[in-house]
Amino acid sequence: MDFTINTGGQAGQGIDTIGDLISQVFVKTGFYVHVLKDFESRIRGGYNSNQIRVSDSPVYAASDKVDLIIAMTKDAIVEQRSRLTEGGVIIFDEGIEFDELESCHLSTPLEKTAKEVGGSTRMTNAAALGAALAVLQFPFKLVENALTDKFERKGKKVVASNVAVAKALYDLTTEQFSGTCSQNLSSIKKGPSKDLLFINGNRALALGAMASNLKWISAYPMSPSTQVFQDIVSQAYKLNIGTLQAEDELSAITMGLGASFAGARAFVTTSGGGFSLMVEALGLAAITETPIVIYNAQRPGPATGLPTRTEQSDLLFMAHASQGEFPRILLAPKDPVEGFEVATRAFNLADKFQVPVMILGDQYYADSMMNIPRFDVTGVSMDRGLIAADGPDPEYLRYKLTKDGVSPRAFPGDAGKTVVHSGNVHLESGHITENPDLRNAMVEKLMKKVPHILKTLNPPTIYGTKIADITLLTWGSTWGSVYEAVNLLNAEGVSINQLHFCDVYPLRTSTLKTVFKKAKKIVAVEQNATSQFARLVRMETGLGVDYHINKYDGRQMTARWVMTQLKEAGMV
Amino acid sequence: MITVEELEGKQAITWCTGCGNFGILAALKKAVIELGVPRHEILLVSGIGCSSKAPHYINLNMFHTLHGRAIPVATGAHLVNPDLKVIVNTGDGDGLGEGFSHYIHAARRNVNLAVFIHNNGVMGLTKGQFSPAAQRGYVSNTSPPPPGAPMWPINPVALAIAGGATYVARGFSGNQKDLVTLMVEAVQHRGFAVVDILQPCVTWNRKLTWKFYNERAYSLQEEGHDTTNKMLALEKSFEFGDRIPVGLFYRSELPDLASGLALPKDSRLRDHETDRALLQQVVNDLTL
Repeated sequence: MDFTINTGGQAGQGIDTIGDLISQVFVKTGFYVHVLKDFESRIRGGYNSNQIRVSDSPVYAASDKVDLIIAMTKDAIVEQRSRLTEGGVIIFDEGIEFDELESCHLSTPLEKTAKEVGGSTRMTNAAALGAALAVLQFPFKLVENALTDKFERKGKKVVASNVAVAKALYDLTTEQFSGTCSQNLSSIKKGPSKDLLFINGNRALALGAMASNLKWISAYPMSPSTQVFQDIVSQAYKLNIGTLQAEDELSAITMGLGASFAGARAFVTTSGGGFSLMVEALGLAAITETPIVIYNAQRPGPATGLPTRTEQSDLLFMAHASQGEFPRILLAPKDPVEGFEVATRAFNLADKFQVPVMILGDQYYADSMMNIPRFDVTGVSMDRGLIAADGPDPEYLRYKLTKDGVSPRAFPGDAGKTVVHSGNVHLESGHITENPDLRNAMVEKLMKKVPHILKTLNPPTIYGTKIADITLLTWGSTWGSVYEAVNLLNAEGVSINQLHFCDVYPLRTSTLKTVFKKAKKIVAVEQNATSQFARLVRMETGLGVDYHINKYDGRQMTARWVMTQLKEAGMV
Repeated sequence: MITVEELEGKQAITWCTGCGNFGILAALKKAVIELGVPRHEILLVSGIGCSSKAPHYINLNMFHTLHGRAIPVATGAHLVNPDLKVIVNTGDGDGLGEGFSHYIHAARRNVNLAVFIHNNGVMGLTKGQFSPAAQRGYVSNTSPPPPGAPMWPINPVALAIAGGATYVARGFSGNQKDLVTLMVEAVQHRGFAVVDILQPCVTWNRKLTWKFYNERAYSLQEEGHDTTNKMLALEKSFEFGDRIPVGLFYRSELPDLASGLALPKDSRLRDHETDRALLQQVVNDLTL
């Protein structure tokens, strides 16, 4: 069983509320749920949707077919018709004027029932839920349980009203709906499920950062990153976290560097445009060896691009941003589970190597929701790296030349030590120098860290058989769609696997070299126009892929899309 | 008590002979001693330019940052360790050009920093181009006559007052005694404190010279000035001709930025550890 429900309409019509309600019912009854948020950059109007994929086995990505649509506008009814599967159903309120009715259409009194039975049009959500689940022949008892859980904090009356409204539409639909739906859930015996988080990538990062003893975040709002900042701000008083909305992104990151310099773990969040402004300070972080974690929730560029859509097109920019040469670390989580883990690793890596660590998400990673096991934040380990011994040390040198390039940190305010940072090339003391030998020593100090970083980073993962005729090369959030495509193709008897990177820079190359030797064809699959990761691989290894699959329309690729591309190219 | 010897700089000074920065550095050393706080509790943050080299010439904690970015770096350091006395050394090119938006936003935040503007009306280190504080008509490689610099100078005192700064003063590198007093008061003031320091650039600026300022500077306090009157302070800030007012323009007490953030009450962010059990509760509340 694997089907998708789409709730669509204008911004401001409560699409997310209905979507959340439906998703939660399925999560609570033990299904695997994946929700894709598809919306325009506007506060009101347009066409937005929640695409809710439900399955009884794990799902890792969105699907492009839709089996059930809850449409809030006429546009939603018309525009989504072509995506509807055979046997699919479109539910909409009888108040919407639409007379080209087909057997897949169900016009029903959602608002009227909400008002008459529940006493408020706000319960239209519960009405839509009742209608949708009746079409799917989902047992009402499970709906009732889920609604009770959802609303019990608001009191018995709210629960009762919502249940009554849902029941009224459920019964009405069961009685009147004469069409047939391809999905029949009457015999399911799922749930209840407990202890699952139903969250997106942004929230997972925020929780991971807070679990890492993050003490400072400064940011300027920018889609699709803003939720991370908001989530952390919302816990600031409970956990004592310094948070400040800055006047621009350059201010945000330089505040972060000041905070880190003075001893706190610091985080800045943005999207590509904001990162462009931050680049100057990235170099300052590097030369002063001040740890900082930067999150870029990528969106299609250049300039404003597509503000609420997805793309993986900032990889090479981030790998090479800033004048000069210095080590940096880039991590690209594939989903919320990995996002939490990546956040905790990012802060440790930043402190351990005293380098900027950048997390690359994208709108799809940021906004898509999944149900995943609850995070254990008490088990997160913290490594602050090399810190100078307590006590006075008049000879303390912030940039003491060491074997591995990492010098013990001290912080301004430490009694008996003077801490000197400078964006100029500096002596071991931190003061300015133009001496060529010291310039060499300081460049080498930075670059010495790279082999140690490489040893610490995670190698890529091969999904599917160890060796296959075709290997799909992926990184970051496209993992799920490609993983599903590989599984489907394996089921068709195709010899294909996936080599996936989370830790993308500096690039670990040994697995790559082996796979390039063993596979007949290597195909780069990326959510960008120029195969940036494949270019990075060629730059670092000299190895070129055989074929490229690229998507850059701002909408995340699906497994079926990947399969179609491979088939059209004659690869499979 | 900090001694003069302890403050002895670790680097050879690269300023020109006769530079107004020498007076500012001398005053800074005296002010630091007069403050009477332990040496490790002082932090100097600077941008880029002749002004911003000052921290290298006095032996204190320091962060020599990017052009124009000293204020946000200082803001971050101050908020994670409010015990630090954070001083920003900036110039007119640095803080009023590249860094101007940070200046005005720091003022409206009333963040507890002391900002010393080494104001010489010229971009000295890049060889004399007109700066944001250059007089209209100032001739340089990038502002040829006529008319020389084709715009009027920025007014850091007026903008600080209008922006929301709660301690706004002007000092003169040639008047050590008053400058030291203003510096000490600015550091001790809780809130955003600005001292605009008039400083001749002897190499490039032929108009804003020692003689120019010596003939025009007068003390607001000696003549009598109500420092609590914001409108009067603003009015005074526009006086810049035959007579140039020096001293404290405006002072008020308003909540500072730190008091409006979720900082720990009994420790500093730099030492604070998040209660993971509380965070686990946040996670648990999110479960379905």
